Formats: sequence, C-alpha cells, structure tokens
Amino acid sequence: MNCLLCNGQVDQGLTLSQILSFQALTTDSVCSACRRQFSPLNRVKTCRLCGRKLLAAMPDPCLDCEKWRRGFPYPFASRSLYEYNDAMREFMKRYKFMGDYRLRAVFSPILKAELRTTHRLIVPIPVHESTMATRGFNQVTGLLESLKLCECLATREQQKTGRQSAKNRLTRVLAEQPFKLKPDTQAQITAKPVVLVDDVYTTGTTIRHAAGLLMAAGAASVVGLTLAR
Amino acid sequence: MINHISELYGRQIKLSDLSEELQHHPDIHVRPALAKIAGRWVCTRCQAKLKPTLAGLPSGQFYCYECIQMGRMDTLQGLATVDEPNRFAAVKHPMSWRGHLTALQAACAQQIVEVFKDHRRHLLWAVTGAGKTEMLFPTIEWAIRHGLRIGIASPRVDVCIELFPRIQAAFDGVSSVLLHGKSEAPYQYCQITVCTTHQLLRFYHAFDVMVIDEVDVFPFSGNPMLHTAVSNAIKPSGGLLYLTATPDRSLLRAVKSGYLSVGYLPIRYHGHLLPEVTIIKLPKIAAQIKESRLPGQVMTMIGRLVAAKQRFLLFVPTIQDLQRVGAAISREKIRCRYETVFSADPKRLEKVAAMRSRSLDFLITTTILERGVTFPGIDVLVLKADDRIFSSAALVQIAGRVGRNSERPGGQVLLYCSTRSSSVKACDRQIKQMNQKARQLS
Repeated sequence: MNCLLCNGQVDQGLTLSQILSFQALTTDSVCSACRRQFSPLNRVKTCRLCGRKLLAAMPDPCLDCEKWRRGFPYPFASRSLYEYNDAMREFMKRYKFMGDYRLRAVFSPILKAELRTTHRLIVPIPVHESTMATRGFNQVTGLLESLKLCECLATREQQKTGRQSAKNRLTRVLAEQPFKLKPDTQAQITAKPVVLVDDVYTTGTTIRHAAGLLMAAGAASVVGLTLAR
Repeated sequence: MINHISELYGRQIKLSDLSEELQHHPDIHVRPALAKIAGRWVCTRCQAKLKPTLAGLPSGQFYCYECIQMGRMDTLQGLATVDEPNRFAAVKHPMSWRGHLTALQAACAQQIVEVFKDHRRHLLWAVTGAGKTEMLFPTIEWAIRHGLRIGIASPRVDVCIELFPRIQAAFDGVSSVLLHGKSEAPYQYCQITVCTTHQLLRFYHAFDVMVIDEVDVFPFSGNPMLHTAVSNAIKPSGGLLYLTATPDRSLLRAVKSGYLSVGYLPIRYHGHLLPEVTIIKLPKIAAQIKESRLPGQVMTMIGRLVAAKQRFLLFVPTIQDLQRVGAAISREKIRCRYETVFSADPKRLEKVAAMRSRSLDFLITTTILERGVTFPGIDVLVLKADDRIFSSAALVQIAGRVGRNSERPGGQVLLYCSTRSSSVKACDRQIKQMNQKARQLS
C-alpha cells in the first residue's frame, strides 16, 4: 500500500507491542515521514476556549477568546486536533480545494476515534449547495463517514443586514448568520448536548454562528471540535 | 484561464478553464472527462481505469484520483481540444548552433532523423557525456524546416530546466516554451515545447516529433499514467525517441520484441573512455555513519581533495545521512565550503548554482543530482554504495558525472561500501562493457 500523500511505500514495521496486543493490524494510509509533518495539539498547552497553542507569555483563555466572551452570548469552547501548519495547509488544498476525496482517510480514523465515546449529538458544519455541486462532497462529513450524524444545519443565502456602521465589529459579524436550521429538525436538538465539527478553526466566527443558532434553537450545550486550528 | 484559441491547439484542457466565449468556439471538440467503458469509469485524460469505491463522490458523481494533481477530472467536466494545425511561421535558417558533431555523433543523429521521417519509435542508448542534446539538433532543424511540432520531455524537472536554454540558444529564431509544475510563465503555442512528462497530460495528438530524455528515471519508469500521457501527446503520424545512458529492463524488452529500434553510442563526445569505478570495502561504514562518524579513510580522502582544490560530489543514500555526514565533516574542522542538497530542499537550485560557479568545494547530495547536471572536472565519492537506493543505473549515472569535459576527461569515482552488492558489481561491469565497445570503435 502506498502513502496517500507522497505515494511512497508505507513502512509496515511490526512492533513488539503490536504482536502482543492480539488486535487486528491496521496500516496507516500515510507513511510515517508524512505523518510527522502534522503537529498534534494534544501534548501542548492550548487555550481552553479555542484550542490554540499557547506560547509562554499568553494568558489562558487567550485575548481573542476574552473578546468573544464579551460579544458572544453563549458559553462556548472548542478544541482542535492539529495545528494549521504548512503540511495541514497543503493537505487542505489537496483534499478540499483540489477535491481529492480519497484523502479523507488521512484523518477520518483519528477524528472518529475522538468522537466514538461522545454522548453528544454530532453536527457537521454544512457546505453551500453550489460547493456541494462542484466539489461533490462536504469535507467535514467526509471525515466523519460512517458515524451517526445529525445534519440539521444548512447554508442560507447572504442578505444585507441593516445599517452596518451602526453596529460594532463583533455584533456585525454575528448578525450575518450564514446558516439556518433545516425544517423539522428543531425537535432533534432540543435539550440535547451537541458537538459541532468543522475542518479548520480560523477566526472562530463560522463555528460560533452555528453554535449560536443551535443554542437559540434550544440545544442544552454546544462544544466545538475541529481538525485544525 | 484560457482566452485564446491557439492555446488549445493539440491540447486537452478542462472545459471550465476556458473563458466563457471560448467554450462555444466552433473548432473545439469536447469529450466527457470520464467515460464509462464496459461498465467501468475511465479517465479520458490519463486513461486510468477507476475503482468505483475510490472514485465515487457523495454527490453521486465520480472523479479521477490518478491525475488529480493536474486539476480534477470528474463526471461534470469536459475535456476541450482543437486539432493541431501546425501553424508556425517559416524560418529560413532555424539553427543558430555552429558547433560540430563528431563522426560517430553525426551517424547517430542521422539515424534519428530517419526514425522521424519514417514515423517510428527508437531508443538512443548513449553513454553519459556522449552529447545527446547536440545529436538532436539535426532532427529539430529538419522538423522545423517541415513545419512540424516538436516536444522534448523528461521526467525530471531539473533536466528540463538545464535543457531548455541550450535548445533556445541553438534555435534562437524559433518559438519555444518551457513547462513544468513550478513555472509561473503562462502557456504559449510554440513550435518547440520542453516540459516534464506530467505536463504531457495536457496535450492531445500535438507532436510530430516527440523526444523523452532520461526515460528510465522515476517517476516515468513503471508509471502507466505517464506512458499514456506520452502516447496521447504524439500525433498518430508522429515519431518517438527515447534517450538514456542506462535503459531499464522494460526498455530493453521493448527493443528485443521489436517495438523499438535501437542505436548505441558507447563513446563520449571528446573520445575518451568512461572513468572506471574504484570499489573500496569498508565493513563498518553504515554503522559509523549512523553514529555521525566517517571512516578515517573517507575523511582523509575528503581532506586531500579539498587541499588539492579538487572539487567533488559526495553521494549518500538518504536525507538523514546528509545531516550525519555533514556533522562528521564539520567536527573534523577541515577548512572547506560545502552544502547539502536533497529533492525537497527549497534552496536546491541556488546551491547547485553555487557549486557551478565554484564558490563551493563540494556538495553532499542524495541521488537527486545523479543525472542531468554537469560540473566540469569533478570527482565523485559514493558512501554506502551498496545501499538499496543506489540501483546499478543510478551508480552508472553518478559515475557519469566525472570526466565530462575534454580538459579533464579522467577523474576518480570512488564507491565506498561494506559489501559488493549486485548493483555495485553491475555498475562496474556495465562501464567496462561500454568502454570495451568504445575501444572496438576507435
């Protein structure tokens, strides 16, 4: 089997613990050299609200999250699995923008393992219909393939919202809600804890839009999980 | 975005890359990007037979995962082509090259012209430093005089980059273009196209004269997609020439079965023999390099070469070994200037240029510099020459870096290894055989 990213041989070296574990042998879809290019966030200090890697001098929660706390009406925390470094940028380019759907296998086992034990309803961030038509897939549901999902969100056409100058930046950003609840899905989320899943957390606006919508619709609580931050 | 119809002559381009206006041009043929043949999706561009489990998308569409790096082909796409019109301005004296071919080179060159006149397929098996590029010139001149379109492709981008200026200089009144994945320059319809073999996926029945240089090298060898790209890029009436110093088994099989005709040139352009290799057995070399140390004998040799101002290339099998060997040399405090290079090195081209301009004493390199590069008057050292990475072809090519100019036609090729592996022995044998053939000729 060849590496999905560099097409080189995947080294299938067997370790002693694998032999003694008596478990089915799973081979990675990516070679170890490519895998090492990604930088996991689970062993470093991260912001407890947005999951970014914290440098020594940064407060926890980070300054961005302080701002969000003042402007966003609901409690919300999000976690990410990897740093958005060069390797992740290149991965996203190939998976999402060039549209190589096979590459979902690079991270789907990891993301699915992360969600296997959750008691929360798993809600993926949707993509726009036109994107779905040309790309042919939603990059988030691709990563969650075979998990039970609650796809209650849809995108909606952007509309002009009032006098922009009257609002400050944060409320303005939040007023431009890009999502809507699909008809007849409110009952599914009422009083339920929810985990929202997205591919990349950049400014945090997208995932908060979705979180705000779900909270307003009656979700008990919402947390976020993204592949990269 | 493609705006002008000439950019589609002899090409196959995603319909969505064409301007709105051009999409409705009457000369354009559009084929579906994926076609169902005998119940199976096949990519029109790269001809890959697709596995339904991998090619399917949740939207119900299918896509080709084989040639996706050239832009995705899927069931919503079309592939646009305009028939090659050979619309080139007539050039009175196409060749500006004023050099001369030796009698042996001229004979091979004439053979190549005949191949293309007869629309055949041919392999020119010429030793490293035989002057393969110059031997193409009579063919190119003939083709230009007849208004034919010429494509010269190589699997290695470095080879293309080194080849292009030489072609351009030799035919300075003729339109030419260089295409590869990293080039920023836009595509132009030209009589001479120099490109990587991947770029050929964007051509369809374009070239009357098609030359593939360094044909035995990764990623071309054993890659059916690139072989398809070549046969699609040639006109049905076109001819094909393969060039290499080290043909692999599949090429030799094609010769044996009569699919390819073959010409040999066992002697270098300056008439001197190939430098033969010296095999030096150092049983502990692998273990020592692993501890970032070098055998004393190797270190002494490096010191002696640097002191004598004899420049050289130091080949190692892996990127990890680059650092280890570099560390060992810097610990030794030899006064020398060197760099390490590997394929993904962002400064690779600059370091190679520094070596060429003599501002370095040596380069420590992986097999990336095994071919297509010329540094006059160098020696070559190979560490762990018995490593799997060094195939016999790679070693022959590495040895071929030495003695390429007539001022210093000799030079040393030192293979350091713990065992005489079959590749090391095969390299030694092949060079001796070629020299044997050369002696018979002269």
